[in-house]
Amino acid sequence: MTELKHYFAPTSLDQAVERLKDGDVTILAGGTDLTPQSQAGRIKFKHTLMNIRHIPQLSGITLEGREIRIGALATITEIMEHPLIKERLPVLVEACDHFASDQIRNAGTIGGNICNASPAGDMLIPLLVLDACVELASMPEAKIYRHCMPLSTFFVGPGKTRKSLCELVTGVRIPIPEANHVARFYKHGTRPALDISTISIGIAGTLVDGSLSNVRVAFGAVAPTPTRAAQTEQALEGQRLDEATIDKVAAIARDEVKPIDDVRATAWYRKEMIHNITKRILSHVAQA
Amino acid sequence: MTIAEKKNRVIEPETLIGKRIAKMDAPEKASGRTRYIHDINLSGQLHGKILRSGRIHALIKSIDTSAAKALPGVHVVITAADIPDQRPIGVAKDHFPLKVGRVRSQRDEIAAVAAESEEIAEAALKLIKVEYEDLPVISDPEEAIKPGAALIHPEPHGADGSHEHLKQGMSIAHKGKPDNIAMRFDYAHGDVVQGEAESDVVVEDTFKLHYVTHCCMGVSGMIAEFDASGNLLMYSNTQVPFLHKREFAEYLNMDPARIRIIQPPIGGGFGSKLDIYPFEVICLYLARAAKRPVKMLFTREEEFLASPTRQPVLLTLRSGCKKDGTLTFRQVHTLHDNGAYTSWGATTPFVMMQTFSSLYRVPHCDYHTAAVYTNNPYAGSFRGYGNLQATFAIEQHMDMLAEAIGMDPLEFRMKNAQDAGEVSGQGMSFKSCGFKDCITTAATRSDFSRKFRENAANRKKPGNIKRGIGMASMLHVGGGAKIYPSDGCGTILKMDDFANVTLITGASEIGQGSETVLSQLVCEELGLPISAITVVNNDTAITPWDVGVHASRTTFIAGNSAIGAAKKAKSKILAVAAKKFECAEESLDLRGGFVIRGDSGEVVIELSKLLRNLHFQDKAELVMTTFYYEPPSVHQDKGFKGDVSAAYAWGTQVVEIELDTDTGFIKLVKVTGAHDVGRVLNRLGIEGQIEGGVVMGQGYAFTEDLIMENGIMKNPNFRDYKLVTAPEIPEMDIAFIESMDGEGPQGAKGVGEAPAICMAAAAANAIANATGVRMFELPFTPEKVYRAMHGQTPKLYWKPWRVE
Ligand SMILES: Cc1cc2nc3c(=O)[nH]c(=O)nc-3n(C[C@H](O)[C@H](O)[C@H](O)COP(=O)(O)OP(=O)(O)OC[C@H]3O[C@@H](n4cnc5c(N)ncnc54)[C@H](O)[C@@H]3O)c2cc1C
Repeated sequence: MTELKHYFAPTSLDQAVERLKDGDVTILAGGTDLTPQSQAGRIKFKHTLMNIRHIPQLSGITLEGREIRIGALATITEIMEHPLIKERLPVLVEACDHFASDQIRNAGTIGGNICNASPAGDMLIPLLVLDACVELASMPEAKIYRHCMPLSTFFVGPGKTRKSLCELVTGVRIPIPEANHVARFYKHGTRPALDISTISIGIAGTLVDGSLSNVRVAFGAVAPTPTRAAQTEQALEGQRLDEATIDKVAAIARDEVKPIDDVRATAWYRKEMIHNITKRILSHVAQA
Repeated sequence: MTIAEKKNRVIEPETLIGKRIAKMDAPEKASGRTRYIHDINLSGQLHGKILRSGRIHALIKSIDTSAAKALPGVHVVITAADIPDQRPIGVAKDHFPLKVGRVRSQRDEIAAVAAESEEIAEAALKLIKVEYEDLPVISDPEEAIKPGAALIHPEPHGADGSHEHLKQGMSIAHKGKPDNIAMRFDYAHGDVVQGEAESDVVVEDTFKLHYVTHCCMGVSGMIAEFDASGNLLMYSNTQVPFLHKREFAEYLNMDPARIRIIQPPIGGGFGSKLDIYPFEVICLYLARAAKRPVKMLFTREEEFLASPTRQPVLLTLRSGCKKDGTLTFRQVHTLHDNGAYTSWGATTPFVMMQTFSSLYRVPHCDYHTAAVYTNNPYAGSFRGYGNLQATFAIEQHMDMLAEAIGMDPLEFRMKNAQDAGEVSGQGMSFKSCGFKDCITTAATRSDFSRKFRENAANRKKPGNIKRGIGMASMLHVGGGAKIYPSDGCGTILKMDDFANVTLITGASEIGQGSETVLSQLVCEELGLPISAITVVNNDTAITPWDVGVHASRTTFIAGNSAIGAAKKAKSKILAVAAKKFECAEESLDLRGGFVIRGDSGEVVIELSKLLRNLHFQDKAELVMTTFYYEPPSVHQDKGFKGDVSAAYAWGTQVVEIELDTDTGFIKLVKVTGAHDVGRVLNRLGIEGQIEGGVVMGQGYAFTEDLIMENGIMKNPNFRDYKLVTAPEIPEMDIAFIESMDGEGPQGAKGVGEAPAICMAAAAANAIANATGVRMFELPFTPEKVYRAMHGQTPKLYWKPWRVE
């Protein structure tokens, strides 16, 4: 038996953030994290369960100036199939393609993936290397207050973010990559579908004459949060992707991560995979 | 009227055997209409829930159920103290359904509640207070056999510390055990010392087999109801209704005649429902106390925690051969982790020793198992019954011996493979045997020899993807297994006025497609279309006795039984027709719903008309027959020797993989199988059976792993317990070797367990072919493979040990 007292399904953003004021609300999007977590007793429902799926401002994938906005309610399937994403952000499609199963992709949302803040969340790694910002909305006084926060500063720990209890994630904003931008994502697990990443890697940057600049590297499932890898980025920045550089960078990546042992893999193996797959991705980029 | 006078139409011969026939229950299942136990609700029913220990090994100091009892909506709360006549259950009678004084594993049952709703029952469980005193945990079977190890089932002591005086013949649950040895098995033929002396090459290795569990899609459950006269009705998914009826009666101190078991459609069996588990007896206690029907269903987590597992095994195998490729001897020692209690897992040596003694011709064989108590989950029966474990070891050694003497692995196997007509050292008589055909067919269809050579040559070449091909073969009972006083099955067959048949069989349908195959066999005998038959197979008040669904026996045993009943019906019909039409019985036959002339196929009379005549006019008789089939197998003697099955099934599987050396990830590319099934009855059904078995074997080999740490299950969920998913299922090329067994129904042999058996062994051989690295421990997860390739896997060695 649960503490849950109310169910609320707002039809506008105003209603939603108003209700969030008292902070005693559990937000429900696709429910693919929330349901198993509550059944396993890992989270407790607050007094109100708020279904946000009827709020129009949270959906859609649109081009807004020099940014692409993905509404928090966009499902993994929608993202995977959207022409704008396919054309401008193919690395997101890559991540969607390795995400769960069709059924989960049809229900799971990008907002849920971000707010669940799993170190192994598969959308988070490509979003990090794409310099995504999280859009937040709240109602501190009588009016909606909206602001953006870089995703790279959003995560605090497993399941923990800098979002306050009164805030709703309304979407993510991704700057449209420049010409010559390359981005790759690789998820490694024990099976091709329905798997939690053992490790995942995102690498992005501008490739001109065989060397990479504006480098972004992010790793999943090797730390309490999905993280950018500063040392690896630095080692890559401005370098030609020759064999010696790739070997050196892969070794730095392996030393930079501090994973743990768990039921999915040991820390040793995770480090090995960070090394081998970083190397593999960079070799592919170099050959492309 | 005589036959000669009437020029009738001719019915051409047709057969149902070997055709692709959709399973009779498929439309219901595919359209979601099947009513599983989960969908059945009786009016007035309560919901039962069990409080489990959570401690691994501890004394129970006190249990306080008062708050739970006081919760509105709760009808009954029970603990061991409330059931003074509780009797121990299980294969060794070492197990009280509700634990008395001590818990021995994480899943142990402490108390149970029957309440108005599941939610109330759950809430009541939370109100039960238990005080424990923790005891040392034994989670490693090697620890369990060390002198001075803590005992899992110690002998009870009196207040002064002396042994309590105990009556002879009491169960382990009452009198305890002086050590942690639950069971032992020792088998030998020939003289291994002599065998070793004759060997040019000897190899010895230790193999380690892990925990996996059945993962039935339908979680376990049961509904129990006592009627006003005290008769018990159970809705249960047991695989052995008749034996269990007797056993339940014992546990409840009641007359077995007053117990009726109805088996609703099952959501998966695979051997998991072959024993009686605590939850079932507890559900009966609750129903008895509540005087209301009680329904109990597991959650998925409970299904993982409290289901039996496949038997984990530590095994050291020593094998030898001569330079010319003749096997000389085999010596096997295994340590079975029995878990906290004894179920069928402890008895897997029955099957394992058959593989060691008889899959290949081996003049000297010596086999020892000790099954030892630990605080782990206990192992039950699971499709293959020890054979996956035994085959994993033996088939790796076949490759290793071949390599050691520089012989092609295929040739080495062919040299030692059994033939029809042989009697093995264990006394198994191979009347039909397509083993060599299995080997050559699987090898030819997969182009084994060429790929084997090429892959080995490619090992050192650049590129991170290495290909491997590996082969393994198996022997399994295919004509029942005589372990109980009878291995038989009964049939009642009745025909109505329209020549429709009702087949009432003791054989349970557990998704294997037995209803369809039995219907085919009956209709084939009676010359009827498959649409003319209805099967009744799920109610002990109606169906005749059967020993249960196990040992791949149903098609063979129940099939012969059904044919027996159909033949009796047929001869009665033909006798009546012969008399009526004044001709010889032998000149008539049944075909297409008619009595026909056997030589020409000319119609004599419509069968339904003949039956109506018989019923209403001629003799006032019905066509109803019964048959009981007992296979011509024998019980093994004390040394485990004897022809225990009426027929034996053979098979070879070739596995092809692509291994990524950067990650250790293995893609299973293709499985080529050749199975000696005697004869194909339902082609669609048997293909499904093989494909399903291959995937189950694939999960065992590559992905499934029930992770135990100090007696605690780390992954009781489908997120971290990884079943094979659709995209991982490989291409399959399955061939059937039809050896036409003389005793089998239409020549068929059992095949239910066979397809799961070879996969892990063949996969291990494929990995060695791809990389040159041997892996002795399952499962082949990317990390395990990667470690093995990087020298990060210490060589396993378990020093052979046996109970003296
Ligand atoms: C079988 C299975 C397989 C899975 N496989 C993968 C996988 O491969 N990769 C992967 O990354 N994940 C996987 N997941 C996890 C999950 O599907 C994803 O994290 C998904 O994106 C969550 O989205 P949702 O809409 O279902 O979130 P919900 O479960 O509805 O919510 C998740 C959390 O976020 C909060 N929340 C949701 N939306 C908002 C919002 N707009 N503002 C504020 N808070 C919000 C909720 O309160 C909750 O705490 C899997 C889950 C299952 C059950």
